[in-house]
Amino acid sequence: MDAMIKVEHLSKKFDDLVVLKDINTTICKGEVISIIGPSGTGKSTFLRCLNLLETPTGGRIVINGEDILSPKADVNAMRQKMGMVFQNFNLFDHLTIMDNLTIGPVKLLGVKKEDAVARGKELLQMVGLAAKANSFPSELSGGQKQRVAIARCLSMNPEIILFDEPTSALDPTMVSEVLGVIKHLAQEGMTMAIVTHEMNFAKDVSSRILYMDEGIIYEDGTPDEIFNHPKKEKTRVFIHRIRNCRYHIEDKDYDFYGMNNVITTFCEKHFFSSNQVQSILLLVEESLQLYFDKDNLEQRNAIIKEGGGIELSIDYSEKEEEIVIYFTVTNNLPSILKTSESSDGLSMTIISGLTSSVEEDDVGDKTRFIMKVKK
Amino acid sequence: METIIEQQSEKTIIKINGRLDSMNSGDFEKAITPVLEGAMKDITLDCTDFEYISSSGLRLFLTLLKHSKSKGGKLCIKALKPEIKSVFDIAGFTPLFQFE
Repeated sequence: MDAMIKVEHLSKKFDDLVVLKDINTTICKGEVISIIGPSGTGKSTFLRCLNLLETPTGGRIVINGEDILSPKADVNAMRQKMGMVFQNFNLFDHLTIMDNLTIGPVKLLGVKKEDAVARGKELLQMVGLAAKANSFPSELSGGQKQRVAIARCLSMNPEIILFDEPTSALDPTMVSEVLGVIKHLAQEGMTMAIVTHEMNFAKDVSSRILYMDEGIIYEDGTPDEIFNHPKKEKTRVFIHRIRNCRYHIEDKDYDFYGMNNVITTFCEKHFFSSNQVQSILLLVEESLQLYFDKDNLEQRNAIIKEGGGIELSIDYSEKEEEIVIYFTVTNNLPSILKTSESSDGLSMTIISGLTSSVEEDDVGDKTRFIMKVKK
Repeated sequence: METIIEQQSEKTIIKINGRLDSMNSGDFEKAITPVLEGAMKDITLDCTDFEYISSSGLRLFLTLLKHSKSKGGKLCIKALKPEIKSVFDIAGFTPLFQFE
């Protein structure tokens, strides 16, 4: 596919605040790209840099072979090829809907008024608002205003449309009507880049997902890759809306009650039931009893201490309503599943009873003991 | 955790308040040593204010049960909260004990 937009080492600072560190990507004709990620990671700034609503601090943006940051670049001509739909619609309140749609083509593209009106009618028909041609923006709902904003954008015949959180300012009841229009445009082959928090929509409509974090494109992939098989930890945490509690256990003399206090506070914050809290505390305690097995305590303790201790992580996925407990320790330590075989088995019986799955896997020089808490 | 031991005629009442976990099971073990070394055979574990048990505690409950049975007596667990009872269920301990 031909690159329509090529972004190389794009950076943007606001005074000392670095919002975009080093953005590199290519957008090809016909692609529908959703840009997702936590708030404050520069998604909207990236979009606004693409059409120079923000001036980048560094890097290159090449559109159809032309570097738009070059002093010789025709910025207005470039902007006409690139439509933008904003969170807050940005319609002209003093103009009718039809005038909102025709003012740009007439004034900037030199289109005859009657041709602009004819095209305006087609576009209003497409977004389901033909009956509102003579209304004013104040007479429309938020969802209708946003559909007009999309039609207005299309009236300039852009080569690409940038959507900056197009549904964030809408009542939940109005989100679907706007997403429906964007989906229709995707099916028509319009090239689009969409900053969105609507994960199901992004999954459904996009050809590619950019996950932004730490001022870079942290992970780039197909919807299946990003939503179902994210490669990076932060992507996974974001996609599954994972809330996380971590605790470091240095050696056998760890602060048991301090750890329990951290776990209980985390559980209370996420409104876990008293049974869930008890299960988590028990699973952690029984696992640590196996890690610090009394029969080989000094030997195991030395290995654990030398290997940097034990990392406890409790992940709560709001999306899946699932709690998973991870213990990560040096793989020099004999497997705790094997250790449990030589014990009286009581700890493992309790662990098995409270979990839907228990497994161990190797990650580099560490072994993870993973328990999914029974729902 | 607090352990209060009382003798009521032929019976030993052990009242356990709070949590019984791997950190304080040693204290509980010490507290019940006189019972294990004594001749009293019938034991009631009063769990009215008992809040949590892990395998360390379960093992000591089992030790008390074995002691009582070896003397031909009975061990009874009183007022155990359902969420703690569920740990007995999971561990397979429920059929071994008498609950009231």
